[in-house]
Amino acid sequence: MSGIKSDTAIKLPISFILCALVAFVTSLFILLVNSQELLAGQFRFPEIWMGAHFLLLGFAVMIAMGAMYQLVPVAFLTPIWNQSFGFVQFYVTVVGIIFLSIMLGINPSLAIYGGILTVIGILMFTFQMLKTLAKRKENTAMSHLVLAAILCFLLTILAGLSLTWNFAFGGMANHSSILYSHIAFGVAGWFTLLIFGFSYKLVPMFSLSHGASMKRAKPSFYMYVFGLLLLILSFWLNQSFIQPLSWLFLLIGFGLFALDIKEILTKRLRRKLDKPFHFATLAIINGWVIHVAAFFISLFHIDDPVIWSWLIFLYIFCWIIFSILGYLFKIVPFLWWTHKYAERIGKESVPTLKEMINEKVSGYLFIVFYVALFGILISTSIQSGVTLFFFLAILTVNGLLYALSIVAVLFK
Amino acid sequence: MNDLVQDALYDVIDPELGINIVDLGLVYGIDVDEDNNVRITMTLTTPGCPLHESIENGVKHRVREIEGINTIDLQLVWEPSWDPTKMSLKARKMLW
Repeated sequence: MSGIKSDTAIKLPISFILCALVAFVTSLFILLVNSQELLAGQFRFPEIWMGAHFLLLGFAVMIAMGAMYQLVPVAFLTPIWNQSFGFVQFYVTVVGIIFLSIMLGINPSLAIYGGILTVIGILMFTFQMLKTLAKRKENTAMSHLVLAAILCFLLTILAGLSLTWNFAFGGMANHSSILYSHIAFGVAGWFTLLIFGFSYKLVPMFSLSHGASMKRAKPSFYMYVFGLLLLILSFWLNQSFIQPLSWLFLLIGFGLFALDIKEILTKRLRRKLDKPFHFATLAIINGWVIHVAAFFISLFHIDDPVIWSWLIFLYIFCWIIFSILGYLFKIVPFLWWTHKYAERIGKESVPTLKEMINEKVSGYLFIVFYVALFGILISTSIQSGVTLFFFLAILTVNGLLYALSIVAVLFK
Repeated sequence: MNDLVQDALYDVIDPELGINIVDLGLVYGIDVDEDNNVRITMTLTTPGCPLHESIENGVKHRVREIEGINTIDLQLVWEPSWDPTKMSLKARKMLW
């Protein structure tokens, strides 16, 4: 360990995170004003594409990038390859995502130009991470998961670029197959594998767990990746048995991961978990339940696109976004504490990381997120536009309060 | 002088856990020679702990405040690795 410097430069991760919070609130607002399209299950609609891309690219991807600039040095004991390159990548990606998302909403035929810029930004990011990870000392299940996530990220943008190319110039058959592959590589490949990977470092660290075997990490990885490949295959081949089989492998892979996390938490030394961390771990249960639902829905060959669209919506919100929202309350205080207090520890009294956040408020925010999501689901089930708008409004306001409470950490 | 250094290290708090590094069992050894050169051997709860630079700085800053201290040599080691049995009863109670 001696000689390895944990990269605690905060400017780059914080830049990503602050932009991501703006995109988060923007995306929720877009969903709010398009509540009627959501009610009708019209997810393939320009304004919804705009909201979805602000949410997934503007928020989730930007958070993932910012977090990786902080977590990769921590988890793999290797410094970031080139910080200056990281800032160039940041600006290229931000401009690309904003242009892509807005154009998807107002003029999809021009989205290709934002898409190209976004692809350049993402390629720069993956190059940066691969150069950084190349210096890692050992191959572990965690490195497999993170590398597979990066590969899925590349495939996601390749599929996404093909879609925007089709909007602009046409000429590609199988638009729907490309779209489904784009979604699967993005949400199940990139985000899920990344959360799996970093959970193996973060969960023991935040719960102070010791002695967990993590023996299911590799089987979980192989099962999930195999399931994902089968799922992609099912979009291209019209064989009805492939999709239920793919969901079965995805479910087993996710279940093995969940069992590992359960074992880690059982062996924890810290009885009372922080509320944000607790919220992030609860998201694992959400993810598992959604996988169970997806398996049974595919098993009974229910092909209703509205049901699948809502399932994807819940997968994104209750698993991916909730995981991110929970971990962000741990990551940002750490970044800011390091910036402000790292040189003062031992010289004077400094706050603990827990004192950097208002945990009580975070608890309320997380409860309201669940209430809003539950309300949205019920409103859609009973086809009530008024209550859907009401719960989307709660989600939007709560998202804004969440973003402000994260920003408030920077004033501690 | 050994006792003075150990007492000082009780003031260095792990910011994530809110417990001092001595009760956490992170300090493996303190050696002070006749010229008051201090050698501290310590570990962290996990390799790659993101707070390792901060905790190292905290140890150096706090020990430097002791009157008469000459040099400080801080050795961060991973063998033997930290485990919960190294924690004091007080630390366990604080966590549980």
